[in-house]
Amino acid sequence: MTVEDQVRDIVAKITRVDKSIITRQSTFKEIKADSLDVVQALVAVEETFGIEIPDEEAQKFQNFGDFVSYVESRVAQEEKV
Amino acid sequence: MGGDYAPEEIVKGAVLAARKSDVEIFLVGTPDILKKELAKYNLTNGSAIRVVEASDVISENESPVDVIRRKPHCSVAVAAKMVKSGEADALLSAGSTAAAAISAIQFMGMVDGVYRPALVGGLGSFAPNTVMVDLGANVDCKPHQFLAFAIAGSVYAKRFLNISDPKIALLSTGSEESKGSNAVREAYSLLKNSGLNFIGNIEGNDVLSGKANVIVCDGFVGNVLLKFYESIGSYAKVWTERKLRKYPPIRALAKLLFNRLFPTTKISSETEKQGGGILWGVDGVVKIAHGASRAPNIANAIESAKEAVKAHVIDSLKSELAKFNEGGKL
Repeated sequence: MTVEDQVRDIVAKITRVDKSIITRQSTFKEIKADSLDVVQALVAVEETFGIEIPDEEAQKFQNFGDFVSYVESRVAQEEKV
Repeated sequence: MGGDYAPEEIVKGAVLAARKSDVEIFLVGTPDILKKELAKYNLTNGSAIRVVEASDVISENESPVDVIRRKPHCSVAVAAKMVKSGEADALLSAGSTAAAAISAIQFMGMVDGVYRPALVGGLGSFAPNTVMVDLGANVDCKPHQFLAFAIAGSVYAKRFLNISDPKIALLSTGSEESKGSNAVREAYSLLKNSGLNFIGNIEGNDVLSGKANVIVCDGFVGNVLLKFYESIGSYAKVWTERKLRKYPPIRALAKLLFNRLFPTTKISSETEKQGGGILWGVDGVVKIAHGASRAPNIANAIESAKEAVKAHVIDSLKSELAKFNEGGKL
């Protein structure tokens, strides 16, 4: 399972939307995620991948794709270490 | 340790509850402040109230969502973790409803099939067999949340009002299926096909009629309606007294009747007598008291939280929800 699939599963579970509608272009607003959904998703992703996502980075995410790209890069960094 | 009159009235309420009931109370907050308050009382049973430290404090200008990432050691978060671990059986908060709800969601978890918790409360006096849900935990609701609200309200009506097959209605702007907001219209369809005893939409003028045992609405509408309902008594009393000021004997009689009929809370909801509402849907008993709660309200809230634990309300909700989860309706 790819990082993107895992993040999509987490977001779909928290927002209770069908994961098939979450594309890399989907904004959080489009998938009807409110601020609590977003924070819960951040925490769940941090726990799943053992990473920490600073608030200033999280605030830059414009869509699901940005979120996934950031997690992918952090996971790759962790693997190198 | 939130609330308009915290910590004084909260601590006093805990002392009242500990004195009249067999209950162990944890006061979660800043120890120095809590111990100073507790020292005002001569507690014969010192072990009934214990102080637990919370190292974070949420200020008024912080978002309740900050509980999760920035302030995970604030009092309501610490209390939620104590319930999750089994150290405590119930959580009571008179602070921010949103902070309590978010702490409960994050640290206690949700019951399967529930997206967000809801506040359920009985309307008492004029409509003793009617409960309303949501009373303010969810301002914006997705349609499937209304179905979960209906199930929670149904469990409440069965457990606390002894109604075997509660009649459920959706609060809307008209009785027809096509009336209401988009979310309400979609919720109508879900409720109609739910297998619950759904009687359709009711309008505001039927809230107190007793037609429905469970009135389902979003938290924005529910909260506005609840506070309006709770205010009617005091305004009706003042209005009546003013109208009768030229007739002192009748005025005195009217005043007496008001005080006899509505001795403590005027025309109030059951939630006021119980010191607040239960937050339904989280995996544990969470009681939300009014921000303006005084010591007697806090003592009542502690007692009713204890009753909710004894009545196994969370297990009842889980078993009801399981039937809908199996059918894929939630």
